[in-house]
Amino acid sequence: MTDAATLFDLLLAGSVIALAIASLTVRDMFAAIVLFVIFGLLSALAWVRLSAPDVALAEAAIGTGVTGALLLKTLHHLRYVTGKLGEGQARDLTPIATVPAGVIWANAAFCGMITLGLALAFLGAPQAGPGFDSLVAEAMPASGVDHPVTAVLLNFRAYDTLMEVVVLLAAVIAVWQIERGLSDAPAPALGEVWQGFARLTLPAIVVVGTYLLWKGSEAPGGAFQGGAVLAAVGLLLLLSRIYVPRPAHRGLARWAFVLGTGAFAGVALLVSGGGRVAFEYPAQHAYSLILLIEGLVTISIAVTLAALFHGREPVAAPAPEGRNDT
Amino acid sequence: MMMVDPLILTLFLPLFGAIAAFVLPRAAAWVGLLAVLGTGVAVAALARAVLAEGEVVTQLGGWAPPLGIALRADGLSVAMLAMTAGVGLLVSIGALDALRDLRERQYFWPLWLLLLTGMNGVYLGTDIFNLYVMIEVIALAAVGLTVLSGTKQAVRAGLEYMYASILGALLFLMGVGFVYLQAGRLDFAGLIAVEPSGAMSAALALMVVGLLLKTALFPLHFWLPAAHANATAPASALLSGLVVKAALYIFLRLTTYMPLPDEILVTLIGTLGAGAVLWGGVQALRAERLKLLVAWSTVVQIGLIFIAFARAGQVGLSESWKAAALLILAHGVAKSAMFLAAGRIKDEIGHDRIADLDKSDTRPTLAQFTFALAAISIIGLPPSLGFIGKWTLMEGAMAAGYWHWVAVTMIGTLMSVAYFSRVFAGFLRFDRMRGELAEHKGWALADAAPLTLAIAAISLGLMAAPILSFIELGYPFGAQQ
Repeated sequence: MTDAATLFDLLLAGSVIALAIASLTVRDMFAAIVLFVIFGLLSALAWVRLSAPDVALAEAAIGTGVTGALLLKTLHHLRYVTGKLGEGQARDLTPIATVPAGVIWANAAFCGMITLGLALAFLGAPQAGPGFDSLVAEAMPASGVDHPVTAVLLNFRAYDTLMEVVVLLAAVIAVWQIERGLSDAPAPALGEVWQGFARLTLPAIVVVGTYLLWKGSEAPGGAFQGGAVLAAVGLLLLLSRIYVPRPAHRGLARWAFVLGTGAFAGVALLVSGGGRVAFEYPAQHAYSLILLIEGLVTISIAVTLAALFHGREPVAAPAPEGRNDT
Repeated sequence: MMMVDPLILTLFLPLFGAIAAFVLPRAAAWVGLLAVLGTGVAVAALARAVLAEGEVVTQLGGWAPPLGIALRADGLSVAMLAMTAGVGLLVSIGALDALRDLRERQYFWPLWLLLLTGMNGVYLGTDIFNLYVMIEVIALAAVGLTVLSGTKQAVRAGLEYMYASILGALLFLMGVGFVYLQAGRLDFAGLIAVEPSGAMSAALALMVVGLLLKTALFPLHFWLPAAHANATAPASALLSGLVVKAALYIFLRLTTYMPLPDEILVTLIGTLGAGAVLWGGVQALRAERLKLLVAWSTVVQIGLIFIAFARAGQVGLSESWKAAALLILAHGVAKSAMFLAAGRIKDEIGHDRIADLDKSDTRPTLAQFTFALAAISIIGLPPSLGFIGKWTLMEGAMAAGYWHWVAVTMIGTLMSVAYFSRVFAGFLRFDRMRGELAEHKGWALADAAPLTLAIAAISLGLMAAPILSFIELGYPFGAQQ
């Protein structure tokens, strides 16, 4: 009855739910973030079990890696601005008005009812679910790539993907725009192990990220996953202050942010004409064009995610914060 | 290069404009203005094509739906595109003068052009997953514009707006997932064929609640007043006049292809609209600041649009959408004029406390005149487009015998007269002021844009018949029959 796989799945599902509850209820913010990261990793594992390796990679790289780094950075900044940098515990950093228990229970009851209703509706309906599988299989030979997910993302529904890259561009513009000269929290002191760690991991990250991108045409992987992994290089450089963003770098950074969107949209537009519409790649060039788009989008995603981690436009600092220039 | 499809240009011109405005911050204003102008020309070309052919469809990448994504333009979508381009162009011209801070001047343009890309994408979209992506583009750009002024209140309001907006988008996405599981496709044309079932109703409910949150229908309006009142004037004009209309438009389209399964739901939507009209009206009467009053009036107008949708019940939907569409267009033009004028008044007087408007010795008369003209359309006095919209609403409700919608509309109209009168009294009273009136500061470029918009809001009412016949082109709601 209960073979090993089923047992594993049950255990996995139970842990994911338990971790979700734990990260929501724990009072210490640092613990909450760590629990969230573990939750993300186990979710990625769950995606693997659901035969969705592409989603698993994205969940691990973006949902867990980059998001975890962003959360930790925010926590560090919160500790800094509230003057609790040295304290081990990070609770009560933001004043949260206590919500009456009655309101919480009423909300929980409503949400529970809605969830139950959705579950019933979902289970009670005929599960037709043919999806795009047969259509994709039929169109694959003309797509220029061998991996169906990449074919959907970069060819059949490339318009959606272009706009998702635009979402990221909008996010980084909004973040740069919000910067109002808040003083930057000092970088946490990094021990001696750090140098060796960085020396070992940086080349490995570059290789893994590039591999994910390259492999995307025939196997799970691609621009978003590769870009997120490469963004880790940027994170390490920023954390170790090997690289310090300066106002003079802004022009280059702007070009790097828009590179992916611009190239993607440019290719989509330039291939049209002579009877073809936008996004319609000529069959013999489809593979190279898709690889070109993915490569440039990967660069943009990596730089954008690193810039989001940095969290501000590097304007000329009024305060004497630029002491770490190397 | 050969002639490019105007459908594609409508999307790509603002996108490339945004990119250029971002990498060339010094030239952002002129690049931006040029891109908006170009988009307007593309929309005009599209309007010609729709007039000639009824509908224009492009299958992107040559892949036919449901696998690929098609862009489609008909009368209604071109009307929305034209409203967006026209209002956008005038707000842009106003922004040239109204934005003084260097940072605001640089960042306004890329964000606004990305917003334009997202909205144009919504009006041309035929695929519900693609619509989800588009509302995410809109959401991030709109949040960026909300916090453009950089004040603490604006950032706080922007954060709340972002939470609401993302929650709405996620609910919509969950609905999209339900639809895909049941139907196996995401294009509008495929949705009609799907058998109604519990899961499809649940999907529709999720998507509709998400959209109502994004368009701020009472009681999901909580994020709107602070966000719209604290943004800088050009951003407020875009947010109130244009952004909330995108989700409204998706709602109108979606209910064509996935009809609301029960009469009760139509009534419920109308009832929420009535709640918005009454609650928003009371809050507008209590508002202490001019921009907050204008923001609450947006809540009221959104409610009114949903009453127009529900005015004649389920059987009347094939006609009611036209009343809703007219009100959407009227509100877009008039509200952007009103926000720009309110921004001008605030700039000239130095504050926007309604109670102290009549104590000021400077009277920005042109901006006040513009505000009053815009109010005429929003209250719904003839011959404005707002009047035609309200009249169409009430005519349909009376014909269907639903007098309660007529009553709510009349009460809402009276309340709007009351709260706008508070402002007019401040404009026109001079007896509470000591000393002489200060010198009139003269005209500014920032006055021209709202004045043009306000005059358009009134004079478009005279063109209501051609507008009505135009939005019917391509029979966007013929799918039901």
